[in-house]
Amino acid sequence: MSAQDTATAPASAERRRRFSVEGLTKVFSTEEGQVRAVDDVSFTIEGDTFFTMLGPSGCGKTTTLRMIAGLETISEGRILSDGADFSRMNAFERNIGMVFQSYALFPHMTVFENAAYGLRLRRAPQATVDASVKRILAMLQLDGLAHRYPADLSGGQQQRVSIARALVYEPGMLLLDEPLANLDAKLRVEMRDEIRRLQKALGVMALYVTHDQEEAMAVSDTIAVFSKGRLMQVGAPFEIYARPASLFVADFIGKANFLPLRGDGASAATRSGVAFSGLARRAAGSNEADWFGPEAQAMLMVRPERMSLTPKAATGAGTLSGTVRRIQFLGTFVRYLIEAPDADRPVLIDRPAFVDGVVEGSAVDFGFAPEDAVLFERPGR
Amino acid sequence: MSAVAGGNAPVRRRGPDLLPWVAGAITLIVLVGFLAYPILTTMANSFAPQGESFNWFNGTLANFERFWTSALYRSALWNTIVISVAVTVLSTLVAVPAAYFVARVDIPFKPLILSLSIIPLIAPPFIGAYSWVILLGRNGIVTHYVNQWLGLPMPPVYGYFGVIVAMVLSNFTYVFLFVQGALSASDPHLEESARVMGASRWRILRTVVLPLAIPPMLAGAMIVLIEALGEFGVPAVLGGEMYVLSTLMYFQINGFFNLNGAAAIALVNVAITLVAILFLLRINKRRRFVTLGSTTRRAALIRTPGMRIAANLYVWGLLFLAILPQLVIVFTSFSERWPGTLWPLQYGWSNYTYVFNRVVGPIQNSLILGAIATVACVVFGTLTGYVAERKSFAGKWALDLTIMLPFILPGIVTGVALLVTFNAGPIVLTGTAVIIVIGYFVRRMAYIYRSVVAAVAQVDPRMEEASTVAGATWGETMRKVTIPLIAPGILAGAIIVFTTLISEMSTTVMLYSARWKTISIAIYERLETQEISAAAAIGTITIVVTLVLVFSATKIIGKSMSDLFR
Ligand SMILES: Nc1ncnc2c1ncn2[C@@H]1O[C@H](COP(=O)(O)OP(=O)(O)O)[C@@H](O)[C@H]1O
Ligand SMILES: [Mg+2]
Repeated sequence: MSAQDTATAPASAERRRRFSVEGLTKVFSTEEGQVRAVDDVSFTIEGDTFFTMLGPSGCGKTTTLRMIAGLETISEGRILSDGADFSRMNAFERNIGMVFQSYALFPHMTVFENAAYGLRLRRAPQATVDASVKRILAMLQLDGLAHRYPADLSGGQQQRVSIARALVYEPGMLLLDEPLANLDAKLRVEMRDEIRRLQKALGVMALYVTHDQEEAMAVSDTIAVFSKGRLMQVGAPFEIYARPASLFVADFIGKANFLPLRGDGASAATRSGVAFSGLARRAAGSNEADWFGPEAQAMLMVRPERMSLTPKAATGAGTLSGTVRRIQFLGTFVRYLIEAPDADRPVLIDRPAFVDGVVEGSAVDFGFAPEDAVLFERPGR
Repeated sequence: MSAVAGGNAPVRRRGPDLLPWVAGAITLIVLVGFLAYPILTTMANSFAPQGESFNWFNGTLANFERFWTSALYRSALWNTIVISVAVTVLSTLVAVPAAYFVARVDIPFKPLILSLSIIPLIAPPFIGAYSWVILLGRNGIVTHYVNQWLGLPMPPVYGYFGVIVAMVLSNFTYVFLFVQGALSASDPHLEESARVMGASRWRILRTVVLPLAIPPMLAGAMIVLIEALGEFGVPAVLGGEMYVLSTLMYFQINGFFNLNGAAAIALVNVAITLVAILFLLRINKRRRFVTLGSTTRRAALIRTPGMRIAANLYVWGLLFLAILPQLVIVFTSFSERWPGTLWPLQYGWSNYTYVFNRVVGPIQNSLILGAIATVACVVFGTLTGYVAERKSFAGKWALDLTIMLPFILPGIVTGVALLVTFNAGPIVLTGTAVIIVIGYFVRRMAYIYRSVVAAVAQVDPRMEEASTVAGATWGETMRKVTIPLIAPGILAGAIIVFTTLISEMSTTVMLYSARWKTISIAIYERLETQEISAAAAIGTITIVVTLVLVFSATKIIGKSMSDLFR
């Protein structure tokens, strides 16, 4: 972003907004002592990016979001929005839209008044309120419901109202904390696409929180994977799937097979002695030593759909082999669960169709192309 | 795509949000000034010689020594303990069967029974107790018939007998409502599974039902005990020669204006109350039950004819006895001539015309003082209740304790504390309306506080956060979101507070002055001059006004009358 950009531009869609979080940390004092719920988190979001914080429950996503919204104090770090320091502003001055998991609609106000709330606070003239609310309700297909009360709406409709309420006053950014968690599966898929459509249509920066990796992959431009308060990796969905920076990310995003390897350097081999060369290598996360067990020096990761599967050949030397424990037909693909001496967990192999000559109980060979595998080296040696 | 809202609304920058701090500071000052300060002053002055204020050089235990040296003090202490324990035990014994019958036996008119059961709680001051003299006194109606038909003498109404009967019948409702609520809400599965396992009805009652009833029973008993330890009106009217601590305090101040002596008695009274509460809490702590089942199905009702007859007789009989004082008051208010005969000789409206000309002042005073105090309770009760529920901060227990303390302090102790504190020293308020308002405020704020805590707990904090993020200051969020949502709870609490203040007596007797006499004082004065029928007329008016107010509270929040007191 150039200096010129900042100098021009009243708030408009052309201007590229820039939001960043630097070294954000939150320490809660509880009876059991200090809890670092968020630990030194930094990231940047630009323009109308759909940015998602993804991670298992309890990893600090909500806390991060609440610090950004001003609902939680910051222990350390900075939050900058277009250069302005959020930490010096009251929550009500930050011009943010926020959607809560519980919707948090005002039960004593109609749909219209709920949606109009932010505009009324900004002392918008009645005509503006009418026009804007009408428009946003139409965009969310809530036209006929303006005079209903939240209690008379379905869960999906309530969710739409809470989105309307957060967007109507054109916030600088939209925060969503697990907004779909209370909806049923089908509606979840519909709503997530709709949220993205709306977000792009309005050109608003979105910061989305979910623990559901499929949901995150489906809606996001950028995903930030969290674990235990730390930011593990930031990247486009494909990037974090194909090039995970740590075992945690590899395991958490999609399905992954792990094969422990002994020896190091060029001579790394599985337990049964199958050796590999020419693999992409990277260090595992610094706190991931306990993934390796006592003997493994490295860990090989391959995605299930990248693996090949054949009935056991007579000359099996130098290949990975095992026994099929279970075959699951999952519609668009077939999943084989294979017990193999080279892996601690059953090896998953996804094939587009049934493999001839392989039934439950069959002895099989399996493998993969070297470029599809990632080798994580044991950290801290 | 361009703006939805037709132009970007400006972000408002308004500097720090001061309102919550200002509101908090004012509340703190009020709590400290009118609650903590009087209580501490009273404690200190109970250690000062008579007529002096406490300082570090005049500390003495003389005021407490009377509990050893004076027979009057000793007997007052003893009477207070005996009467309170007796009243608590008897109230519980009387109430639990009634609660069981209403909860578990198929009898008609249950909502009516529950509504009628709160009438004893709103008995008008003094005259309610006096009605037992009309019934059980030497020339009393009941005494006469018991004598005539059964040939039995009645014990004298003045003293233990009258005091205990009157207090049991006006207080058992607390236990009744608590236990009834728990028994009708408890999970029927428990009993059903006991029955499936072959337990007899008696065994089920003993092993399943009664244990469920014990925690609410103890909770109700605790309230009865607190009320009994602080009761002033009943022993004042029916005590005769017998003193309890509350009447002794009154006597020390009205007779000798011995503030230090009264402060010492107050301290002893409070100490007994605290010990009693700790004792009951301790019993209750050893029992941990989940009484509210997950099912919405209610317990199956017993329909055997024998049980239904027994239940109807018991419940209606008890209710009749409990409401009898009110009936007697209304009846007496229409008697124009009752010169010591069994029944009045002449009936009519003349007491009302007589009273109307004379009690306009006191009624006005009660309404004004009650209304101002209620508004103060609403403002500060709402603020503190909100803070207590929403914020966590160091010393929260102190806030809780400060507010809840007057809840367990006998009203007369609050009166004494304010009198001791504001009779001399930097601020002198005795004889003014202000001191009465403060007394009312201090005693009743806990009601609003508790309703607000309960109401705020029902409001999703995310709702307030949604409002904040949308751009609302704390004040705007309170005004537009929180207050509207908790308003019904506050309003119902306010009506109950106002209702009880109209006929407040135990604090008022300590603080009133010639200019500021209330309804209670008017009734008391009529009783002192033996204008019983006039007192009854004022009492009847009070009953009617009170019932109307309570009824409107039920309409406002859509709860039943009995729920307001549960
Ligand atoms: N107010 C609080 N006090 C103490 N600990 C908290 C508080 N809020 C959250 N935590 C802790 O911080 C951690 C992160 O919580 P959260 O941000 O809610 O996780 P997520 O949204 O990713 O599920 C959890 O361990 C949680 O227990
Ligand atoms: Mg969360």
